Amino acid sequence: MKKTLRITGAALAGAVALAMTAGSALAYDGTNCKAPGNCWEPKPGYPEKVAGSKYDPKHDPKELAKQGDSIKEMEARNAKRSAHFKETGKWVYDVSKL
Amino acid sequence: MRRFHSIGGYVSASCVALALGGLLAGAANANDRLVEMAKNPENYVMPGLDYTADNYSEMDQINTGNVKDLRVAWTFSTGLLNGHEGTPLVVDGVMYVNSSFPNNVYALDLKNPGKIKWQYKPKQDPAARAVACCDLVNRGLAYWPTDDKGKTPNLILSNQLDGHVVALNADTGEMYWKVENSDIKVGSTLTVAPYVVKDMVIVGSSGAELGVRGYATAYNVKTGEQVWRRYATGPDAEIGIGDDFNKDNPQYGQKGLGLATWEGDAWKIGGGTNWGWYAYDPSLDLIYYGSGNPSPWNETMRPGDNKWTMTIMARNADDGMLKWGYQKTPHDEWDYAGVNVMMLSDQNIDGKDLKLVTHPDRNGIIYTLNRVNGDLVRADFLDDTVNVWTHVDMKTGIPVRNPEYGTRMDHKGKDICPSAMGYHDQAHDSYDPERGLFYLAINHICMDWEPFMLPYRAGQFFVGATLSMYPGPKGDRANYLGLGQVKAYSAPEGKYKWSVMERFAAWGGTLATKGGVMFYPTLDGYLKARNSDTGELLWKFKMPSGGIGYPMTYEHDGTQYVAVYYGVGGWPGVGLVFDLQDPTAGLGAVGAFRNLQNWTQQGGGLLVFSLDGKGPYSEDVNLDEYSTEIITDGT
Repeated sequence: MKKTLRITGAALAGAVALAMTAGSALAYDGTNCKAPGNCWEPKPGYPEKVAGSKYDPKHDPKELAKQGDSIKEMEARNAKRSAHFKETGKWVYDVSKL
Repeated sequence: MRRFHSIGGYVSASCVALALGGLLAGAANANDRLVEMAKNPENYVMPGLDYTADNYSEMDQINTGNVKDLRVAWTFSTGLLNGHEGTPLVVDGVMYVNSSFPNNVYALDLKNPGKIKWQYKPKQDPAARAVACCDLVNRGLAYWPTDDKGKTPNLILSNQLDGHVVALNADTGEMYWKVENSDIKVGSTLTVAPYVVKDMVIVGSSGAELGVRGYATAYNVKTGEQVWRRYATGPDAEIGIGDDFNKDNPQYGQKGLGLATWEGDAWKIGGGTNWGWYAYDPSLDLIYYGSGNPSPWNETMRPGDNKWTMTIMARNADDGMLKWGYQKTPHDEWDYAGVNVMMLSDQNIDGKDLKLVTHPDRNGIIYTLNRVNGDLVRADFLDDTVNVWTHVDMKTGIPVRNPEYGTRMDHKGKDICPSAMGYHDQAHDSYDPERGLFYLAINHICMDWEPFMLPYRAGQFFVGATLSMYPGPKGDRANYLGLGQVKAYSAPEGKYKWSVMERFAAWGGTLATKGGVMFYPTLDGYLKARNSDTGELLWKFKMPSGGIGYPMTYEHDGTQYVAVYYGVGGWPGVGLVFDLQDPTAGLGAVGAFRNLQNWTQQGGGLLVFSLDGKGPYSEDVNLDEYSTEIITDGT
């Protein structure tokens, strides 16, 4: 497992030799891993975290929750349908008729 | 080349007898019976022909010596336009045909295909059309053979664009059950073909272009009950990650990464939908498929590796838990949706007999892994013009990026190869176990890419990139032609035995046969046959419209038939289908395929070929006549 190479300010000069041996730590090439399976790095000039930066997506938590809610509702309706089917042998799609 | 038989890829008279015996006895469970049924050349029971998904037929009635005599035996129009993907099924003398939206299903008796045995025409909310990213396509049907003497009928399973999964009585076409799998109100649709394993049907998902978090679901075919549902991103329990996940390859990553490789809650709209193809190994009880691209396309809005999107997944059939997962494209920057075909083979590589899964990805790399534990065995470029990677580090499995061809905000990446359409897309390819060759339907398209910021609103597109696409370096960039290739690939050698350029992307896929002929349709409307060993073009036929499905073959009454859908569309056809002119429209496909309309228009149907066009009506001209009595006036 390679150690993460992060090059900042004063460390830069000293890091150049290391960077060369590491491949291309000056630009994100995917090979410098924080942990197995976690090798992302920000590109030069881009932030480590986008929250609060000019690239902040500012997601609305209500919007982010919509898919999860929708799936829960579909699963609940499907469960009613299959339960009724197992009980009666007849499939009724319209849950208001169950 | 040492020969290994693929699962279910070997037919003998005794096997067929066994299959029939098994059916009559009703003793074997459903997946065993599908394995046996797939060995009978009179059947084509699932996408990819059998669980290896190698789309290889042991039939050789049609071969290199006589393929020039292949003619149309009969045809069928679905009555719909738009792209016609997938391939029909044939079971017990009946052909089952799927269509584009609204996903009609037709059953045709092969003894007299002119009469429609039954038809299922679902009523769907037309709003589903507005949230389909890439034409109103559907990749096919699945079949479940009854195991309880008819208590549950034989079933045809069909996925609808509006998110429903239906089970139809295969004998009558009546709806047996119908569940909601995906909700178009949040941008989630279904284009994937269902897949039957044991007494379950596996259903994927679509909608990463609308921020849909991907999931795969297993339903009990007898009751419609949900057995398991596993996601591509988020908490381990929801992804199906337990203690032994990736235990033989811990360098791929293990626990916690479905959250840790995302910033905040971005994983909730993180993509990873799976709308491609499946394969299954009954001896390992593992289902193989790939998860798609992360959302949005704008990479800057989702820092992190974005696991487990873009991942080859091996899931336990019974509970959906992941045995292993290998992320091909960490932190995607190009929409290389990792959903492509999985083909299983048993081959000797580097002196070892291995059980393998081979997968040509959108990202320009064809991967071969040990399907037992996920060891990376081969990772070769689909073409030497791939430039986003320098190579794959075989020890770590990491694709080494060439930063020059990455994408990012406030930057227009240019001459990136492959494009977002990939060097390979939804084509269902084939593998010939006798020749040890994969027949790959490849794209040759590169692109310029510039992302932009956008908000997420459930039910709206969430792409965030503007693309221009054009032929790759080996094509004709001045005239926008030369957008495809077809190649024969050897995994043990890591080399291509032969390659040929195509005018347009080879989008549909291939069929390999023991007769030494491989078949594929083209977007410009041909069905072609090439010599499997040399690539020599032996035969072609001009279809009514371009083909984006893959050919299949079956035997009926002793005659071998080759069938393929016509009906251009899909992502490459969106300009033609929706009459778009702006080259960046259709997520950038309109410009690349600006010349497609000069070779084809829309269509929708099926062509069935045989030697000399022999078929039910050539054998008996009076078949299906209303009356054979000729009335004369007596003079």
